[in-house]
This record gives sequence, C-alpha cells and structure tokens, in this order.
Amino acid sequence: MQRVKKLNFLKRIGLFLAIVGPGLITASADNDAPGIATYSMAGSRYGYNFLWLLIVVTFGEVIVQETAARLGAVTGKGTADLIRERFGVKVTFFAMLCLLIANLGTTIAQFAGIAAGAELLGISRYIAVPVVSLFIGFLVLRGSYSRVEKFLLVLCLAALSYVVTAFLIKPDWGEIARAAVTPTIILETDYIFAVLATIGTTITPWGIFYMQASVVDKGVDEEDYHLTKADVVFGALWGNIISAFIIICTGAVLFTTGIQVEEAEQAAMALAPLAGEWSKLLFTTGLMGASILAAMVLPLSTVYAVTEAFGWERGLDNSRSEAPVFYGLYVAVILISVIIVLIPGIPLFPIMWLSQSMNAILLPVLLILLLKLANDKELLGKWVNKRRQNYLTIFLTILITLITLALFVIPVFNRS
Amino acid sequence: MIYISEIIDKEVWDAYGARMGKCTDILAGFSKKQFPPIVAIQVKCDDGVLKLLAASHIGTLFPSIALNVPQTKISDFEEKGNELFLKKQVLDHQIVDMEGRRVVRVNDIQIAFTQNEYVLTGVDVGNLGLLRRLGLEGFYIRIARLFGKLPQKSVIAWNDVVHIEEKDPLQLVKSKEMISRLPPADIAAILEDLDRVSGQSLMENMDNEVLADALEESPLKTQIEVLSNMDFERAADILEEMEPDEAADLLADLPTEASQNLLELMEDEEAQDVRSLLDYPPDTAGGIMTTDFGWIPENLTVIQAMEYLRRSEEAQDVEDMYYIYVLDQNEALKGVIYLRDLVMTEPEKKVDEIMNRDTISVFPTESQEEVAYFMAKYDLLSIPVIEEGTDRMLGIVTLDDAIDTVLPTAYKKRLPRFF
Repeated sequence: MQRVKKLNFLKRIGLFLAIVGPGLITASADNDAPGIATYSMAGSRYGYNFLWLLIVVTFGEVIVQETAARLGAVTGKGTADLIRERFGVKVTFFAMLCLLIANLGTTIAQFAGIAAGAELLGISRYIAVPVVSLFIGFLVLRGSYSRVEKFLLVLCLAALSYVVTAFLIKPDWGEIARAAVTPTIILETDYIFAVLATIGTTITPWGIFYMQASVVDKGVDEEDYHLTKADVVFGALWGNIISAFIIICTGAVLFTTGIQVEEAEQAAMALAPLAGEWSKLLFTTGLMGASILAAMVLPLSTVYAVTEAFGWERGLDNSRSEAPVFYGLYVAVILISVIIVLIPGIPLFPIMWLSQSMNAILLPVLLILLLKLANDKELLGKWVNKRRQNYLTIFLTILITLITLALFVIPVFNRS
Repeated sequence: MIYISEIIDKEVWDAYGARMGKCTDILAGFSKKQFPPIVAIQVKCDDGVLKLLAASHIGTLFPSIALNVPQTKISDFEEKGNELFLKKQVLDHQIVDMEGRRVVRVNDIQIAFTQNEYVLTGVDVGNLGLLRRLGLEGFYIRIARLFGKLPQKSVIAWNDVVHIEEKDPLQLVKSKEMISRLPPADIAAILEDLDRVSGQSLMENMDNEVLADALEESPLKTQIEVLSNMDFERAADILEEMEPDEAADLLADLPTEASQNLLELMEDEEAQDVRSLLDYPPDTAGGIMTTDFGWIPENLTVIQAMEYLRRSEEAQDVEDMYYIYVLDQNEALKGVIYLRDLVMTEPEKKVDEIMNRDTISVFPTESQEEVAYFMAKYDLLSIPVIEEGTDRMLGIVTLDDAIDTVLPTAYKKRLPRFF
C-alpha cells in the first residue's frame, strides 16, 4: 500500500528537520545555568581532570536518551504513562516523587541562575527574581511563549564563546588530550559531589521524560525512528563538546591561578581572555538566557508528567477549577523556587551545582524502571533492548549507585 | 462492593484450606448483559506456574480467596480469546468515560456479587482509588471525617466506559460504535488525549464521515499526523467528507507531491472545490470560505424553490442552511432569502419578490478580520463570497470560520506541551 508519507529525497530532509530537535534541545540543556555552574566549578577546582568523565557521560546520555526515544516512538506513550501502566500506583508514586524532587532542585537552580545573572549586572535579586518569575508565569499560563523562547535560544548561543575563548588562550592541547583519556579519581567528598553533579547535569531525570514526550508529541513512529536516533547521538555530542570547552576554559584560566569558583563573578572570569571587561555581560547573557528558558519549560513539563501519571486533568486549555492539581503544583514549584533563592545570604552558585548532584543520586531509580520497560517484549516487540544496551544501562546504574555510596562512606574513612 | 486492588496479590486457598498460590489477575468475560461476568482468576502457584481457575471453582473472592474444590480436582480453564485481563489490560490504563466524554485513568476496578456470580460493575477513576492503592484510604477517610467532609466516590459504571486498548476485534467494533456516537468535538478531544497506538486502532475502522467531522475539530498538526499514517485511498476519501475549506487548509500544509496525489484520488467534484480554494491565501475570505451552500435559480415560486433544494445534490452537503442564495444562469449572485421566509410565505409567491436584493458580500481577497467585521456589523450567520467583476458566487464564509481570528477555537489555546 502506498502511504502518504513516502517521500523523495528533498522531502526526507524536510522530515528530518521536523523530527530533529528533542535530542538537540535536551543535550543543549546540559549547558543551562546548573550545567555552566557545574562545569565552571569542576574546571576551576580540578583543571582538566573531568574531561574523561565527560566522555563516559556522553555514552551514558546517548544510551539513556535513545531508550526513552525508542519507548516513545514504539508505544506512542509518555514515560509517566508507561511507568503507571506497567508498575502500578505505588511504584509510580515513588518514581514521581523522585522526579518532582529532582526537578524542583533543578528549577531552584534555574532561579538561582537568574538571581546570580541579575546580580552580576548590578540588579538586586529581590527585584529581578520576582519580576522574571511573574513574567514567566504570565507567558506560560497564557501559552504565548514561543517567540520569547526563540529569543532566549539565541541568547544561549553565548555558550559558544567558551569555544572561541579556548582557541584564543591556546591551552596545552596535548595535556587536554591526555586528561581526556586518563581516568583520575580522587577519594574526597568534594570531588565525589563534583562527579555526581557532572553526571546529574548531563543525564537528567527530566531529560528522559522530556525526550520521550517530545518524540510522542512529534508523532515519530517506528518508520522515522532512525532519524530520532541520529538526533540523540548528534545532540549528545554537540552538548558535551560545549561542556568540555567550559571545563577547558575554566581549567586553563582559573585552575592555573588557583581561583576556585564560589560565585558567578569568578566563573565569568573564564571568558576574560575573549571579552575582557565585557566577560561579565557575555557570561550573564548565556546564564540568563538558559535559566529563563529552562524555568519556563521545566516546571511545566514536570507538572505534566505528574498529572499524567495519576490521571488528573491537565493542560493549559483547562480552567483552574477543572485542573486544580495541574495549576496548583505549577504555582507551588515556581513559588518554592523563588522563595528559596531569595533567602538572604543563601549561596547561589553552590545551589546551582549541588542540585545536579541530587539529580544523579535520584537517577538510578528511573534508570531501573526504564531498563525494565525497555525489556518488555509485550510492549516493544522487536524493539526491546539489545544485550549490549542492557549491559551499558546496568553499568551506568551501578556506577552512579557506587559513587553515591562512596559519598557516604568516604567521610567515615577520612576521619579514622 | 469489592475492589480488585483488595483481591490481587491475595493468597488463594483450596477447599481443604491448603495454600495454592497468589491471585495475579482477574478475567472478565464478554457478554451482552450490562455487566460482564468474572469468568476466571489467574493464580501464580507456589511452584511458579501460572494457572487459570474457572469462576465455577471460586467459593469466595473477598475477604479471602477460597475455592470450593480441592486442588487436585481443578480442571484447566479454557480461554476463548475474548477475555479481558483486568489487571494487565484495564487497571492503570486509559479508558474513555462516555458520560464525561473524556479520557481517564483507571485507579481501581469494582466487582460485585449478584445472582450467584461475580460481575464487573465499574471503574474507580477518583483520588480515593489512588489512595486505596497506596494503602492510605482508611487514613484519609478518618482525617476527612474529622473535618466533617466525606470524600466523594467517583466510580463509573462499566457500561458507561469504553475500553480502547482492546485486542478482541468484536469488542473493538463495539468501542468504535460507542465513541462514534459522541459529538465530533468530543471525539477530537478524545483522539488528542489517547496515545498514538490506541488512537490509530480506534480510527482504523471508524466511519470516514465520523472521522472527517472529528478531524475538522482537531488542530492542523493532528490532522496531518492522522492523514500521514493512512494509505492514499482512505486519506482521499476522508478529505472528500471534510468541508472543502478545511480540506484545502490541510492539503496546503502537506508536501506538494502528496497533496497532488490526494487531489487526483478524490472525486472530481470535491477535488475541484478544494483546488479552487487552494489558490487563495489562508487568511482571506477565499481561504476560509466553503464552496458548499444552498442556492436556487431565479424566477422560481416558493414551492418550486423548496422542491429544487430538496432535489439538489449540492444542497445535501450543506451543514447549516439559514440563507438561500439566488443565482442567475451565469451563477452571479442576485439576492438572498432567509430559510424562515421561504417556509413562512405562501407557496405560489415568486421568490424574487420576497428576496433581499442588496446582499452584503465580499471578494475572495478580503482579509479575514474584515469579513468578521462585516458579519458582526450586519448580524450575519454567513456571508457570500463573489468574484470581482462578474459577481459569480464562489462560496460562503460561515460565522465560526470568520471569528476564528478574533476568538480562537479551544484547541488553538492548547499549546504544545514543550517547546
């Protein structure tokens, strides 16, 4: 039977462009405010030490995101749907709690990014954060944020300045290459936190849900799946290459001078070789763009996943009285985030990256569920996980669990 | 009333009180009666084997599961293939609530004992069901009583729900029939809410006409997605059933090659209508008009006019016909008459005498806002679109299409979930 979708080569490219996106977007989000904070911190404290980890994490991201995309394409259902249908209410409740905590942490981090960015420009966070959050709430609830979104995406391109800076400062590329292939592990609490943050900001719980939801939303099916797969791989490479350059810049500029990034102002100095006194502005542009963008999308997608799992009315086309949980939870997530970053004297920069460590700690719960779903023959038929994919996912899950355990065990050893 | 969350995972005892295993699922049969009977339970025996036990072996299901025969005398239950595995296929899955006309998630399933058999009575879609599954129902009720508020039960009777992830073809047909009876806008909303696989299986055998009506109420993105997954023949059939203006909008958004193919497969007359609409930009009178309207030739009496309309094949396609347009032999617009006036006037009177000659009309290039403005100003339900120079009547813009710019339809407010 001839199908409407049979297209010639040019149309195929068009189709590719229509389907590409989710993978690229999730991966670019590696370099949101918490992402920039994590890499700046890691680069300034440990130099090029983290580059090898980025390579491991890139593989992990591809494996995890590909699984989510495949589940979406074959079943046409969201992650929360599948968890609920396969595991029942109790497991769903636990999984959603993990997701909610992880995403609340990341949303707080985004608002911390907004606060930090504003203060770099000399604006008090007590003005900037409430104003921006009202602006976000207004746009999102009115459902008219698509134009603003494109503008913010352009601001995010500021992250590219790290690439330019890296070539300007002419770092020792040999040393960088060596660092990238030599795993280094330091058994101390700060280092473990940094490792977890790096994992947690790249392979995110929300990324899994977002990826699957967008694949479903775009109507990708088995036939187009190969395009989505290419999108996932390309996105992960792109996102992590930028991440690597952030580490290279901060490693070359800050680590060598012994500055350990504790606040945004220091992080901005990594761009000084390129922009001089304008580096603050450049850094703020990227930070604010990414933070506001994520603050618009993340709470909304979280609330969608939770309400979907429990079958509560959801969506912006419902009124507040029709979908009380949907709107209530949305407002709660935003309010809690705003209040926390406005606590006087709360350190913004550590909030940004520590929230990512928490992401990583919660990740194994979702990875196990994802693994079980991906092996369900009734659900996926011939699309179930290959043995290699299973091994890699299990390896990743065990790795994260071991690192988390190390976090609790190391202090005990260091004391004795 | 018993809930299956209280039965699943319970231990199963035989007539001698020997433990057999755990109940893992409950099977409902297919019946024409209002409530389908429970025909068997699935038991995971202690040696790990899954067994189906016929309902005739079951003594009680609640408070504990006891059989009325010893283990040794159990005969295997034979599946007919149309049984519904309640836990695996219904619990936690989506169903369509026919009363509320929406897609809901099943939090629990209700069973009752009537006339010597257990029957499936309804599904719990409320928060109480969720709490029960979490083991918090009792706690919650106690708290609620403390505040003097009794929680509301939200159980929907089984005959008011449609199970859509159905695999049994007979049941599937029944589900489709039930959903097809809903208003098109509700069908559209349900198709939107369903996952892709269920949605597609539901649409597969739905009447082209029903589906076309539902698609007209769906966002363009859904229309394209639905059509893209069909074979050309059926897609063309559905386009024929759609209003020409809707069909034209849809075709304009498909790749040129696909829309050309579809137009060739459509009946000539319908394809012609759609082709002429495709020439106009989408936000002009020409772009939003429909070519289906009621018209009569000049010089008829009232009774002839009504007879003409009744026999006119074109008029059969018209959905709302409040105005009848009078055209001369060149199809130029001469006047308009309200259907009401046609009905209320003596049959022998000439239409030309009672029709309104100063018809408000627009050219196809007029902007959509301008059209909406005219319709509001002159209180019109539809406005004729005529060719510049010749006055040839091309179509009408109906009120709902004109006000789309001013007052977007519900679905337009619904935004993509993510960016």
